[in-house]
Parts: sequence; C-alpha cells; structure tokens
Amino acid sequence: MLDILQIPFIQNAIVGGLLIAVLLSVLSLFINIKNWSFINVGISHATFGGLALGVYLGISPIYLGILFAVSTGLLIGYISKKGDIHEDISIGILFSISMALGVIFLTLTPNYTSDLFSFLFGNILTITREDIYLLAGFSLFTYSFLAIFFRKILFCCYNEEVAYTAGINTDFYYYSLITIIAIATVLAVKLVGVILASAMIILPAATASQIFWHYKKIIISSIILSILVVLVGIFVSYQYDLPSGATTVFIYGILFFFALFVKKLKKGR
Amino acid sequence: MENILEVKNLTVKLNGKTILEDINFSVKKGETLAIVGPNGGGKTTLLKTILGFIEPTKGYVRLLGLPPKQAVKTGKVGYLPQKNNVPKKFPVSVLDVVLFGLVNSKLPKKKQIEKALEYLDYVGMLEFKDYPFSDLSGGQQQRVSIARVLVAEPEIIFLDEPSTGIDMVAQESFYEFLKHLKETKGLTIVMVTHDVGVVAKFVDKIAGLNRYLHFYGHPKDFFKKEILEKLYGSEIELIVHAEECVACEHFKFKIGDKKC
Repeated sequence: MLDILQIPFIQNAIVGGLLIAVLLSVLSLFINIKNWSFINVGISHATFGGLALGVYLGISPIYLGILFAVSTGLLIGYISKKGDIHEDISIGILFSISMALGVIFLTLTPNYTSDLFSFLFGNILTITREDIYLLAGFSLFTYSFLAIFFRKILFCCYNEEVAYTAGINTDFYYYSLITIIAIATVLAVKLVGVILASAMIILPAATASQIFWHYKKIIISSIILSILVVLVGIFVSYQYDLPSGATTVFIYGILFFFALFVKKLKKGR
Repeated sequence: MENILEVKNLTVKLNGKTILEDINFSVKKGETLAIVGPNGGGKTTLLKTILGFIEPTKGYVRLLGLPPKQAVKTGKVGYLPQKNNVPKKFPVSVLDVVLFGLVNSKLPKKKQIEKALEYLDYVGMLEFKDYPFSDLSGGQQQRVSIARVLVAEPEIIFLDEPSTGIDMVAQESFYEFLKHLKETKGLTIVMVTHDVGVVAKFVDKIAGLNRYLHFYGHPKDFFKKEILEKLYGSEIELIVHAEECVACEHFKFKIGDKKC
C-alpha cells in the first residue's frame, strides 16, 4: 500500500482530499443544524452551469463554478428569508436552469473532449498543485472566520430573531455562511463531482450527531470520520479501480447507517 | 418617570392588509405591560414592529429613545420568543444557551461562565447546566431562556406568548417569577399573551389590541363588558382567576348574561 504514496498524483489526491474533507466536515455542522441539505444540493448542482461556461469560454472552470454557486446560494438564501416562494421550489428551479445551461454550453463547445463524467462524478486523481493552494488558502480563511465569529454564527443558527435583538448583524453572518458553504462545495467538485458534492457536506455531521449531541464533539468526530473516509476511499478506489467520489460517498453512507444502528442500540438498552 | 417605549400613530400594512391602525401608547421604565387580544388581532405584529422586524407603514416606534434597529444594537433589549422557535435537537448545552446572552460581552471567558452560572442558579436551573438544552421540558427551556435574556442585563424585555407549552400551575409560578424580577431588578417587561385572566394580577397595564388599540390602562378597568365586546366580539366566554385563586379555582365571566 505504501508504494502508492510515492506516486505524485496520489500525493496530490491525498493532500487535496484531506483538505477538502476537513473543511466540509467543519461546515457540515451548520448544514445539519440549519437543515440546509437541500439548499446545498441546489448549490452543488448549480455549479455545473458555471463549470461548463468556463469550458465554453476557455476560462478556468472553477472560478465560474464558484460564481454560479455563490450567486445561486445567495439567491436561494434570499428567497428562503423572504418566504414569498417556497424554498424547495426555488432550489429546484434554480439548479435545473443552471444544469440545463451547463449541458447547452458543453454542447456548443467546439471539439470538446474533456470528460463530462468527471464534472458530474469527480476524479480525485485530477487534483493539481494549484487546486491544493486554492484549497489551503480558502480553508485558512474559513477557519479564521469561524474562529472569530463562531459563537455569533451559532447564536444566529439557534434563533435568528433572538440574535438580532442581541445586536448581532444576522444578515451578515447568514449570507457569509452561505457564501463560504457555496465556495467549499465547488472545491469539493474535483473530489466527488457536482452530483455527490453535497453528500460530502451533509453526511459527516449527520453521522456524528447520531452518536454525540454537543457541537464540539460533533465537529471533532466529523473531522476524524472524514479523514478516515477519504483515506480509505482513495486507497480502495485506486486498488480496485473504482470511481473515487462514488467510493468515498458510499463509505460515508455505510458509516451513517452504522451510526444510526449504534444509536438505536444505545436507546434500546 | 421616563418613557422607555413610545408607539406613536402606528399603522402597519402587510401584503396590502391593514393589521394595525393608529396605535398610540407608551411604557414607562419599570412598568409591566401585557398586550392581549384575539388571534389575528395584531399582537405579534405589534411586538415585531416594536423590535424592528417589521417596518411601520405610518407612524413610528421609539425604544430606549431610539428607532428599534438602533435600540437593539445597544444590547439593552431582551427578547424571549415562543419556545418552539429553536431548531429541534440543537446541539448546545444549557450553559451554552445562557452564554449566548453574553455574545457581545468584553468579559474574559472565565468570568462569562461564572456570570452565566450565577443566572442559571437564579432561575433554579444550575443543576442542568451540562444537559442538552433540547432535552428539557417547555417550562425548563423557558427558565433557561430567561437566564439567557437576564445575563445580558437588559433594561427592557419582550416576551412572546411566554406561557405556551407550560401547564397552569407552572404558568402561575412563571408570572410570579416575572413579578419578582420586576421588583428586584427594576426591569421593564412587555409581553404578548392570550392568558388575560392569568396575567391581569401580575401586570401594571394591559393593552387590548384588535387592529386598533381598544384599551390601554390598569387591569382593573379592563374587565368591562363594552371593552371586552369591542375586543373579542359579543360571543365570548372568558375565564378569569378570582383574587383568592392561585392556580386551579376559577370562575366564569359571561358577557351574554353578565353572570360572574
């Protein structure tokens, strides 16, 4: 097994995979307590339109992916706050439009040979040095932001109206959190693709909260869980020539149901 | 005594419908006010306008002498929403919830914890400090939320249907507790409630609201046929607590045949 660690693209895959896994597992807490699972599915799918536009225009797809994801996230967040249209409807409409645009852009791209499959389902083995620098820089920014404002953000998640009456600028934290989550989701696309990116941000805390009830333990166990899952995912996918994203998400899924089983067992005692 | 809250010529329209019309009243420092009225009468809209969640269509609100959005930034306003506004299974302890009240505090973390524990003790919930907040009963959550509000040492607190989910006996002790707060801490308390019979003996003023402010004054002047008819319509049956009643003995006051 140690032999594979000598291969440069495997090294990139491991470093990149771990950076994104830890970042998403920290953000996972907020997705779970805010019940933003479907919002995140919308954001990850909307990324496809931006990625395809990037390919069509010959610009780095990841930056247009981020633009699409952040715009969609903020728009969904705004609609959800205003409450004029049901949140689920707006998510369904926005991500369908963005995916439809993605298909149109890719079809219009002359001599397009890149693998559509890797956009949709990811390929961790295509992570480059540049991706790692981008991931490391964004992770550092996110951890600093959370370290400074964690209690205020948690208070906003607890009850936004109460937090507002305590003098907190709730809109700033609400939209900042959505923006950070949208960017992190795009960065996960290389790992697992647009279809499965949301699973990487939903499953860690969803699994950890079956065993632990306090946010500190949920965050720590989510991080440990994600590191293990990504390492095992990379090894298994390489060893058995399986798609890395699907393998990783499948392992998460198994662990979620295992945690659910442990919880039931505990309750039954 | 100075006015801590002033509502002047307030009209609020939501989606083209007039919810509140020409509301005028003021609350002095240290007073306790209950806003009562039928469902859909605009009680919660009034509270939300006072706190700055809703913009007035006409007129204005001055809270601590400031427009609501500026007043809340002073940290001197406390708000206790209805109990079920907190997400289910929210992953925080009882102590964490009280510490939310100190989110803007400049005190060192250790001092904040000491202060939070002191207030948990004050509301009789110290032994639950490490429990999951979401595992507590409605009444216990209410006490912890009160500690969260008080630990910030506000000048005025707003309570939205504070007795929702609490049984009759617990309601009485809850209102007794509010009265004690007012007397010991000099707090101004404004609450929205439908338990007019219960709160009447604990508050200084009652605001009877049904689109218009039909009554504003002392509770003893509130229970009059013409006022209650204006507020609730003629076919109402109100259950009022007698002076001697503490929790369970009550008598009926019927508008129709004036029997009481």
